[in-house]
Amino acid sequence: MDAEALEREGLAAAAAAISADAVEAVRIEFLGRKSAIKQALRDVRDRETGMTLNAVRERLETAIDERESVLARAELDARLTQERVDVTLPVGGQTRGSLHLITQIRREVEDIFLGLGYRVVDGREVETTRYNFDGLNFPAGHPARSPLATLFIDEETVLRTETSPSQIRTMEMQQPPVYMVSLGRTYRRDTPDATHSPIFHQVEGLVVDEGITLADLTGTLDLLFKKLFGEQRRSEFRTHYFPFTEPSIEAYVSCHICDGDGCPVCRHSGWIEVGGAGMVDPRLFEFVGYDPERYSGFAFGWGLERIAMLRHEFPDLRELWRNDLRFSRQF
Amino acid sequence: MRAPLSWLREYVRVDATAEEIARRLAVSSLEVDRVIEMGVEDVGDNLSYLRVGRVLSADKHPNADKLQLCQLDTGEGEPRQIVCGAWNFGVGATVAVGLPGVLLPGFPAPLDERPLRGELSRGMILAEDEIGLGSDHAGIMILPDGIEPGTPLSDVLPVHEQVLDLTPTMNRVDLLSMVGLAREVATLFDGELLPIAVDDPPALETEPVDVTVEDPLGCPRYLARVFRGVTVAPSPMWLRARLHAAGMRSISNVVDVTNYVMHVYGSPLHVFDRTKLEGGRIVVRRATAGEEIRTLDGIPRKLDTRDLLITDGEKAVALAAIMGGEDSEVTDATTEVLLEAANFEPIGIMGSSERLGLRTEGSNRWEKGVDPYQAEAAAVLASRLLVDFTGAELTGSTDIHSGLPERPVVRLRTDRTDRIVGLVVSSEEQRSILDRLGFEVSEDWDVTVPTWRARDVTREIDVIEEVARVVLPRVPRTMPLRRLVEGHLTGDQRLRRVLEDVLTGAGFSEAYTWSLVANDPDPSAIRLSDPMSGDQAILRTTLIHGLVEAARENVDAGNAGIRLFEFARVYLPSDEQLPEERWRVAGIAAGGFDAARAAVEVVYDALHLGLRVRRAQRPFLHPGKAGETDAGWLGELHPALLDGSWGVFELDVATLIGPVPERILYDDVITFPPLRQDIAVVVEEEVEAAALVDVILEAGAPELREARVFDVYRGDQVGEGRKSVAIHLSFQVPDRTLSDDDALVVRQRVVAALADRFEAELRG
Repeated sequence: MDAEALEREGLAAAAAAISADAVEAVRIEFLGRKSAIKQALRDVRDRETGMTLNAVRERLETAIDERESVLARAELDARLTQERVDVTLPVGGQTRGSLHLITQIRREVEDIFLGLGYRVVDGREVETTRYNFDGLNFPAGHPARSPLATLFIDEETVLRTETSPSQIRTMEMQQPPVYMVSLGRTYRRDTPDATHSPIFHQVEGLVVDEGITLADLTGTLDLLFKKLFGEQRRSEFRTHYFPFTEPSIEAYVSCHICDGDGCPVCRHSGWIEVGGAGMVDPRLFEFVGYDPERYSGFAFGWGLERIAMLRHEFPDLRELWRNDLRFSRQF
Repeated sequence: MRAPLSWLREYVRVDATAEEIARRLAVSSLEVDRVIEMGVEDVGDNLSYLRVGRVLSADKHPNADKLQLCQLDTGEGEPRQIVCGAWNFGVGATVAVGLPGVLLPGFPAPLDERPLRGELSRGMILAEDEIGLGSDHAGIMILPDGIEPGTPLSDVLPVHEQVLDLTPTMNRVDLLSMVGLAREVATLFDGELLPIAVDDPPALETEPVDVTVEDPLGCPRYLARVFRGVTVAPSPMWLRARLHAAGMRSISNVVDVTNYVMHVYGSPLHVFDRTKLEGGRIVVRRATAGEEIRTLDGIPRKLDTRDLLITDGEKAVALAAIMGGEDSEVTDATTEVLLEAANFEPIGIMGSSERLGLRTEGSNRWEKGVDPYQAEAAAVLASRLLVDFTGAELTGSTDIHSGLPERPVVRLRTDRTDRIVGLVVSSEEQRSILDRLGFEVSEDWDVTVPTWRARDVTREIDVIEEVARVVLPRVPRTMPLRRLVEGHLTGDQRLRRVLEDVLTGAGFSEAYTWSLVANDPDPSAIRLSDPMSGDQAILRTTLIHGLVEAARENVDAGNAGIRLFEFARVYLPSDEQLPEERWRVAGIAAGGFDAARAAVEVVYDALHLGLRVRRAQRPFLHPGKAGETDAGWLGELHPALLDGSWGVFELDVATLIGPVPERILYDDVITFPPLRQDIAVVVEEEVEAAALVDVILEAGAPELREARVFDVYRGDQVGEGRKSVAIHLSFQVPDRTLSDDDALVVRQRVVAALADRFEAELRG
């Protein structure tokens, strides 16, 4: 038998095979049990011939395997090409839910303050007048104590008008240092319109420690503004009055729309009012039994709706209560 | 409060523009709503076209019956011809003239010379509304005689005015006055305060003034003055212009004086026609229950015993501090006036004002606590102006009070200021600020508070605030030291976030609905004592109804794939003063019972809790598709409540997360894999899946690790009233791999137990 001719013939046949079946036929013809090479190997008597034939067999095997894998790959390629889909076509399926915009802002604020070492306190919504007014130093006759401003359950029980009662409860429960924020629903007797709602949300912050200053308050709020409205924002603080803080300030942030040049959003002032703050009035410390000579503190309380409306530029606060998916899924 | 700048500058000398003053006041003193530009625009030489003129002749226009043809001396040497439509003046009148070229407010272009009915008109004789000095357009403005023709009008009248529109905080009633604002501006700009020099008019022939204050707590001071020979007439032009700029309407010289002086000192005044007072007498007392008074606005007001009245001993003549009575009003015929410069206690006034729904410039000040010392200064200035403007004579005066309040004295530690503010303010500067604000500071820092701040500034911290607000723009931005603190969410707070995230991941969008509702299933739910409306009367004990409404809104809006959840509190009645507030999580989703069950399953799974649902009944749920868990309920919404099939659930959050394991221990389910088999059993229709699984798990323990129903088949092959339940079984022990023989033994125990307990037949 001419091993060389056999190899030439086998290699040519493998190269000529154009399908998996044809390759298999070549394999049977040249390497099968009845193939010439298998016959020759069975009949071989000397070592040298055996080695030559085995080498031929191995080369044929390799060539057939390679041809097989080339053809298999080509077949796969051809099939995949046919399996083409329109990748631009939406399939639906999984629907995403979304957190309420106020929840998203609540978490943002919580996370900022958690990072600063504050804790998050859950306050009550139904409060005694002791915590909602007396402890916060609202004088007798203050307009907030009137049923025209506040929702009463009975003479000594109200729906909290701000998140600040949580300050008093927190201070009663623990000794300084206090670093806390409290966020939640608050209630006032306001007729609903584009910027008012009898139910709204506030964030309350309270710090009581040795050596706390007004500068610490303005620094903290400046940081908060930059996180909420953008790092390039500036802050300004203006004097104000609240029963529970002294000195009291109102915090303003440079307008994120016009950056201070003046536009309709900031009513051409360049500044947007965000909310009230101040140094905790020593009367609150006396009320809860802290030593006002040793400790000082600051507090702030703002509406979350206002932050949401300013930041996302929607004109009507009532959208936040309408729960229309066309609104809520945008955020 | 509107403060015309030209008026303010009469009391303080300061080198600052309106904008600069507004900015500085806004930071350190009070809210500045805006700066209003009034009158004729002060651009280029515009104001120079406004002159004083004298009428040389005024004749009917030859070609028009309603027009006059006038010649005026406007200081130019030549007479100037002007056509005018007004007739309220004659030859010799001093008037205001606009020359061609002037741009008047509300006009699109400058005035030009033009013929009117054939006669050239070279200017305009002005009415007060045409240059923004008032609202009167009945005729042209008549100026006082004796002003040289050609004088710039801006030398005589504030033809251009800038007005600060201001809102003081409620503790700063002293800033509802021009003198208070002047003091503030002087402090902030280190300007010079210019005192108001006024001589009290002499009382020549005095008569007694009969005033009795029966309620000295409600009325701590009552200063009354009597004027005779009053001639009621329009006020002089400058006063009318000032009131107009300050946002007040000119009424008459007498009434205008009270408004003007109130604006100057912040202490409201009132005037009575004294002949309408029985015996010229004043008695201050509380109203009797049901007593009535008809106030100046013509409205009868029904009073109660909390309302303070000014009476003449017989009848009510004024609702004290709020509004005068119609019967004693000053009219054009008035000749005798009783001027009231009183002081009223704020809380009672606020109560009356609220009850009656009547707020006035006066009540707005009284309810904030006006300085009783100001009454006297106000009375003196008002007397001077009444005498000057009305030709009256002061004939009587009385001042009833039982001592005016002491001025508080507070010891200030200047280093404490620095420690509170976080900025070193030198003691010289602190002293200077307080001094300019009217505080008296002794050598050892005893600070005596001025009368107009005595209510508000009573403690060291209040004095510190005075310094702090002035230096506020210089306060640096620092961060608290935060030693010994660390921030973290509590376990409950963290799990609440997990719940929110799991539900949004499951396609639910978060809704916020009202905590106040019209109806609640719990008849003992807490009610507001005086709700804003019936829709917001009750504190809810369940979230479900708000979500149903939210779903309905979305259906109406045409939204598809509606899945909503809410995370909020309910308010459960308790024996304590305060209700029990509990967090609930609730949801609603299109897709009926399965949608609710799927949501509840994923919630329990996310919290590593086993879910066990029992059949239950709720009035708002489909009676055959309702279940409950330890933490709440789930089911299909009763179709009567909302069209379509909706899955709903509500879980009490504390109950739900109570059993959540704090730490999860590793369970080796990998080393020796489980052996899995399925069985199907035929049982009566009533047998519920959970009951089957319970029995299977009990009988299969300990090798049977899991049993899960994966299919239920009903049909001819199993017979009427029966069903075939396919259950997936998973056998596993921690120390070896189980063989088929092991499983067979357990499986036989299970099948026997099912047969025993439910007469279940193994199928296939």
